[in-house]
Order: sequence, then structure tokens, then C-alpha cells
Amino acid sequence: MQDVPQNGGYMIAAYVVAAVIIVGYALSLYLRARRSLRP
Amino acid sequence: MRMLRAGRWITGIALLLLVGVYIRALVFTPVERLQGLAQKIYYLHVPAAIWTETAIVLVGLASAFYLFLKDPRLDRFAAASAEVGIVFAGVVLTTGPIWGKPIWGTWWTWDARLTSMLFLFLLYVGYLLLRSAVGDPATRARYAAVLGICGMCLVPFIHFSVYLFPTLHPMPIMMKPSPPSMPGSMVVTSLFSVGVFTLLYVGFVVQRYALSYLGEQLEASGEGGSGKGDG
Repeated sequence: MQDVPQNGGYMIAAYVVAAVIIVGYALSLYLRARRSLRP
Repeated sequence: MRMLRAGRWITGIALLLLVGVYIRALVFTPVERLQGLAQKIYYLHVPAAIWTETAIVLVGLASAFYLFLKDPRLDRFAAASAEVGIVFAGVVLTTGPIWGKPIWGTWWTWDARLTSMLFLFLLYVGYLLLRSAVGDPATRARYAAVLGICGMCLVPFIHFSVYLFPTLHPMPIMMKPSPPSMPGSMVVTSLFSVGVFTLLYVGFVVQRYALSYLGEQLEASGEGGSGKGDG
């Protein structure tokens, strides 16, 4: 019976990178809107 | 302004649901025996890839219609969809190699699927640079539309590259004529994630569209700085 590979670190890295990209873009849209609306 | 607020609400809900995807993928979906925990990268990588391709197709369609109708709303939508497509392509191009290292033993290989995806990403970075470099709105929209149509033509090539060329990249597990080759709980998590990425796409595009509109209003009233581009 083959053991399940121990590669959880790669999964964590991918989940963190994806979250950073998505949340970072959401934040950039928010900041750009705030700058556009500034009087 | 109302559109911007709607986009923010949709994005906020989508981000909360994305937390749900993480929890469902990490806690309530089984670990694949051969790939281990790295297989769970699939629940982010594939939905992001689906929405990259869809966003680029929508850029192409909006661009084609723009050339006939000259409606600035189509150009605005194309610009918004291209930017969001690049963001999702960024997710695809980072999560892919992180999965590839433990499974293939290498971060990157220059095979047809990976190389064409990188090419698409760079093409759309060029698309945004083109938009920011051309000052005249009509010329900018026309040039961008031509590039947007060219980019759309790449999508079928990327999608079918795994059938056309020898490649390390796995064959489609869900987007194929036969039923998905994985257990029901994995299919549910995948479909949930695709739904959340759909909502993220809508929220981002609505916000980005509203930003373009605001920028055009400022440009028209002479407050738009250099008056170049639409960023």
C-alpha cells in the first residue's frame, strides 16, 4: 500500500498566493475608485 | 456611482464565499491518494483557468461588436474583462507551477499548454499597455479591439492543446464530453469554486467598468491629468 505524498506545503503556498492576488486586486480597485472620487 | 457600489457588494460577497471554498476544499473534500494534498490546488487553478478563458473570449466578442457598432460601452467592457482575465491568468500561472513541482518534479516546462497560457498572459499585458499608451479614445478603442480579437483566437488553441500536442499537462477532468473523472464531493467543491469565481469576475468587471466610466467623465471635464489611456 503506497503512502499518500507529504506535500501539504505546496498546497498552502498555492492557496496563499491565490488569496494575495485576488484580495490584492480587489484592494487596488477600491483604492483606484477612492482616488477617482476624491474632490 | 451606483454601479461601483454594486460591484463592491458583489466582490465582497464573492470574497466571503471564497473563504467558504477554502474551508470546503481543505476540510470537507477527501485527499487524493496519489497526489496528496497538492491535488487540492485544483480547486483554485481550474476555476481561475475557466474564467481566464471566458474573460478573454468575452473581450474578443465585445471587441468584434465594437468595431461594427462603435459603442463605447463595449470598449469599456472589453478593457474591464481583459484586466480581470489577466488577474485570473496570474492565479493560473502561479498555482500551476506550485502544483507541478511536487507532481511533475519541475516548476515549469515549455510544453504547448503552459507556453500558450504564458503567451496569452503577456499578450494581454501588452493589450493594457497599448490602452494606456494611446491618447485618442477612438483610436485606442480600435487598436485594442483588433488585439482583443487576436487574443480570443488563442483560447481554442490553449484549450485543445492537450489533445493536439504531447504535453505533461493533465487532460480535462470536468470540461469534457464524458462525466467528470472524480468523486462527487470533489465535483461539488469544484463547481462551488467555479460559481465563486463567476461572482468574482462579475464583481471585478462591474467595478472596473465603473472606474473606466468615471475616468472618461473626468477626462471629458478636463480633470483627467495627461488625458492618456484609461487605467
